[in-house]
Amino acid sequence: MELDVHSLHPLEIRVLRHVSLGEDITNTRLMEELDYQTGHCNQAFSWLSAKSFIEETKREVSTWYEITDFGKKQSEIGTPAERIFALLKEDGPKTLPQLSELLSLEKSETGSAFGQLSKAKVCAMQEGNKAAVVSDSLPQQFLIGSGVLKKGLSGLLSEQDLSGEELAYMKKNSKKRGAANSPFKVIEREDITYRLTELGNQAKKALLEKHITGEELGSVTPAMLSSGSWKSGSFRPYSLNTPSARLIPGRRNPYGAYLQWVKDKLISLGFEEFDGPLVENEFWNGDALFMPQFHSARDIHDVYYIKNPSHARKIEEPYLSQVAKTHENGWNTGSRGWRYSFDHEFTRRQVMRSQGTVLSAKTLPKAKIPGKYFGVARCFRYDQVDATHGADFYQTEGIVLGEDVNLKTLLGLLKMFAEEVAGAEEVKYVPGYFPFTEPSIEVHIKHPVLGWFELGGSGIFRPEVTKAMGVDVPVLAWGLGIDRMALMHLGLNDLRELFSPDIESVRLRRSK
Amino acid sequence: MPKIEVHEKLFNSLLNRQYSDEQLEEIFPVAKAELDDHDTQESLYKIELNDTNRPDLWSASGVARALNTYETKKIPHYDFFSTADETKDSRGRELIIDESVAKVRPYSIGFCATGVVVDDKILENLIQTQEKLCSNFGRKRKSIAMGVYRSDLITFPVHYKGVDPDKVSFIPLGMEENLTLREIIAKHPKGIEYGHIVADSPVFPLLTDDNGDVLSFPPVINSARIGAVEEGDEHLFFEFSGPGLEDLLLAASIVACDCADLGYTIEPVKCVIPKEEPVTVPYYFQQKATCEVSYLTKTLGEQLSEQQIVDSLARMGVEGRVSGGVIEIDPPRYRNDFLHAVDIVEDVMIGRSLASFEPELPRDSTVGRLTLGEEFSRQVKDICIGMGFQEMMYNYLGSKKEYIDNMHVSGDDYIQIANPMSENYEYVRPSIIPSLLESESVSAHAVYPHNIFEVGKVAYLDDRDNSGTVTKNHLGFLAASTDMGFNQLNSYISTLMYFLNKEFVMKELSDPRFIEGRCGIISTDGKDVGIFGEVHPAVLESWNIAMPTVACEIDLDSLL
Repeated sequence: MELDVHSLHPLEIRVLRHVSLGEDITNTRLMEELDYQTGHCNQAFSWLSAKSFIEETKREVSTWYEITDFGKKQSEIGTPAERIFALLKEDGPKTLPQLSELLSLEKSETGSAFGQLSKAKVCAMQEGNKAAVVSDSLPQQFLIGSGVLKKGLSGLLSEQDLSGEELAYMKKNSKKRGAANSPFKVIEREDITYRLTELGNQAKKALLEKHITGEELGSVTPAMLSSGSWKSGSFRPYSLNTPSARLIPGRRNPYGAYLQWVKDKLISLGFEEFDGPLVENEFWNGDALFMPQFHSARDIHDVYYIKNPSHARKIEEPYLSQVAKTHENGWNTGSRGWRYSFDHEFTRRQVMRSQGTVLSAKTLPKAKIPGKYFGVARCFRYDQVDATHGADFYQTEGIVLGEDVNLKTLLGLLKMFAEEVAGAEEVKYVPGYFPFTEPSIEVHIKHPVLGWFELGGSGIFRPEVTKAMGVDVPVLAWGLGIDRMALMHLGLNDLRELFSPDIESVRLRRSK
Repeated sequence: MPKIEVHEKLFNSLLNRQYSDEQLEEIFPVAKAELDDHDTQESLYKIELNDTNRPDLWSASGVARALNTYETKKIPHYDFFSTADETKDSRGRELIIDESVAKVRPYSIGFCATGVVVDDKILENLIQTQEKLCSNFGRKRKSIAMGVYRSDLITFPVHYKGVDPDKVSFIPLGMEENLTLREIIAKHPKGIEYGHIVADSPVFPLLTDDNGDVLSFPPVINSARIGAVEEGDEHLFFEFSGPGLEDLLLAASIVACDCADLGYTIEPVKCVIPKEEPVTVPYYFQQKATCEVSYLTKTLGEQLSEQQIVDSLARMGVEGRVSGGVIEIDPPRYRNDFLHAVDIVEDVMIGRSLASFEPELPRDSTVGRLTLGEEFSRQVKDICIGMGFQEMMYNYLGSKKEYIDNMHVSGDDYIQIANPMSENYEYVRPSIIPSLLESESVSAHAVYPHNIFEVGKVAYLDDRDNSGTVTKNHLGFLAASTDMGFNQLNSYISTLMYFLNKEFVMKELSDPRFIEGRCGIISTDGKDVGIFGEVHPAVLESWNIAMPTVACEIDLDSLL
């Protein structure tokens, strides 16, 4: 098997190249021979062990002493005993509190140092509780401390580095924890000894063969480029499958992106977009669509009413009169009408738009012939909100006007939607019922994933709808159940998710 | 849309055959029906009827009749109908309407049916027919109420008159005590439900037989004796009351045909109406309807022969003739849905079968185009995304708490829903900022920084419009992070306006939603187009947000 040694880190490479089978590999050795820091050693050992290039052979605990900031300061200005001796010698007797204050020592430090000095008969307490010098010089034992401190400045000390006296001093002046007021900190270290494995040896051979030294170039830097230093080296290859850091990009909402795709699709099929206000009135929301004001068909659309103003001021003429007459007796549409007295108060009542067809009706008076129009309209229904019902939701609807449109072109249009917008494999048409179209057709499609389902409703607008709006040509009207396809597209099964306020779930959402 | 439950056995006997569920699903569309469920344990079909203008289909008999006719092309004939030319013999059975009901509920008509013993399935079917006809088609009994009675207990003629609601009393169905009509509308469950239809009238309608025995208090409740039809009864009287004669005649025709299909003999009843000709029920009142063949051809996009037209109509139960380029039909006795020639076209289409029409693409060439608003929105979205913002989409209805209380504003110009389903959806969104803050309040778990925006609609009161409201396209964006503040917000706005190519100035603003002195108005060409600022900690506290947050909202329509 070919070992992949290209992705090894320089810290690993240098170790592998440096050691041979049977040799002990330790922290100390790498620090001495390869000039590694402790951290480098740990990384190299952890990576190489994980790859089974080295294996652990021995593990022992050793004690080390590390000089603290407190210790460094003592080394600079002297130990408390040294400083007390020097001050008393120079300046005459002082009380212990005076000594603490003058030398900025803690009471306990002064007390402990004076205790040592008086025990060694260097100082003594005299009248007035004043300490005074009773010897000319400090005995040897007081110099041991400063010697150890000096040694400590050059690095970690082990027990082997210290004489018996020094070790005795160290034991008194070092702590494992809370060493901030102690000159030395005790560090217990596990020293692990590794050896190269057979696999590691193969890796070593591969490195040697391929002349990989670990001195290869890492990140490209501006300095490297301007100096041209890169020309004399080679680039270290990076590991390809390292997990990457998370990035939070600016992004479209996936549902919005889907609706935009649908809009673009419809544009490409020659449809012009329409739009309108959220607040409508009963006239446009139902009357203009030839839904009788008091017929049960009106129950299909349970609507939200506006509190104030509850009624629009007026309804556009001549449409109001034409629609009213059409309801009452058919006007000149060829219909007998619904034969009731049209309520001119009710028709002004304001509602939240409950169906996208409202916009189709409103487009009729100003539509071009031939013309194709569509809209993606937010609609509102008086429904209990659950996984399949939203308080508000989008409907995608439109119309096709033309001298020659008919049932067969309606079927053709539906087929085009089924294939282009829904990616259907098969299309089936069944008679449907909508108060504003006759004939009415429902289109069912066989989707590669969803199976058979109803894609939408459609029909030819009743002449009672079109003629009252001043349109004399047939008008195909259609609506597509886009939300269901959007859910599928996004792998969701709850309509409420489409308008989720949860930032994280929207950030992570993607299409299937 | 009406849904009915039909007992398998009854349905199969009406169909004279048994269909598999697949076959039913296949053929149901000719009646615009859908098989919702087949409950094999209860032996029930659950059927949804999509055509709200075809009440004749809302019963087992009706659906079975449509399917049978379609399969056999045989139009069912009913010989018990009187017409303008021929009045059937009612053998002395009369229903006499008194002038006193003219102002409260002017019409009551009826007929008798006999010859089949009522069993549990027929009874269930009758109750369902009554319920669907009166509730859906009869607008919750307002325009049609139907009663069924034991005709062997009735002494004809039956009288329909207006009576003093406080003086007349009887024992209503479902109770054991004698109640006045006024007490019935106050106490009886049906009275509470339907009493309002007559409550304001000085007299209430009452139906009695010639001995004065009460049949019912239409449209509210039957009497506990004559009006209590049970299993084992064989002689029935059906009665329909309401404000319009035509609706009642149609309902009576539908029920009479349904009964006939179940094997009943229909016995006409002569209804005597003040100041009008008497009418013997069932009565065929529908007019012939016509459709030019050229209109049919143009609408279907296909030339059909006269025979094809007549056959297609026959499959729909419609008697049709073609002559001189005009189709003339006699509507079936149980249908009154031919308002326009186009309704004949649809019957031909269904009878002919949709599968026989080959789809064709519209040939007209038209130019596709987005609205200006949509094009501009897309530009705005692109810039926001480029600045690192996540697009959000929100509901347009919300609560008073979200839009008013939490925002520390008065909400004077907000649109309120008069009939909210719940307080969660009581206001129309006047601004995108509450939606964005809601996101922030539920998203503390999401990695920061949060940069979110929406381009969407808002609506609020505006007296200048005919509706007193206005709908606008707005951009709203919000940014929240530990070091978010005014300067960063300023950079976002400057960047956005630069790429929209809009010169702007910022003006001072005092707005409780923002920290005073750290918010402003964006103004271009002398128009105020937006607001922005550091969201006030009091507002953040209301939303339970513990992260510095800035927000901005711009009216995109005013930038177009």
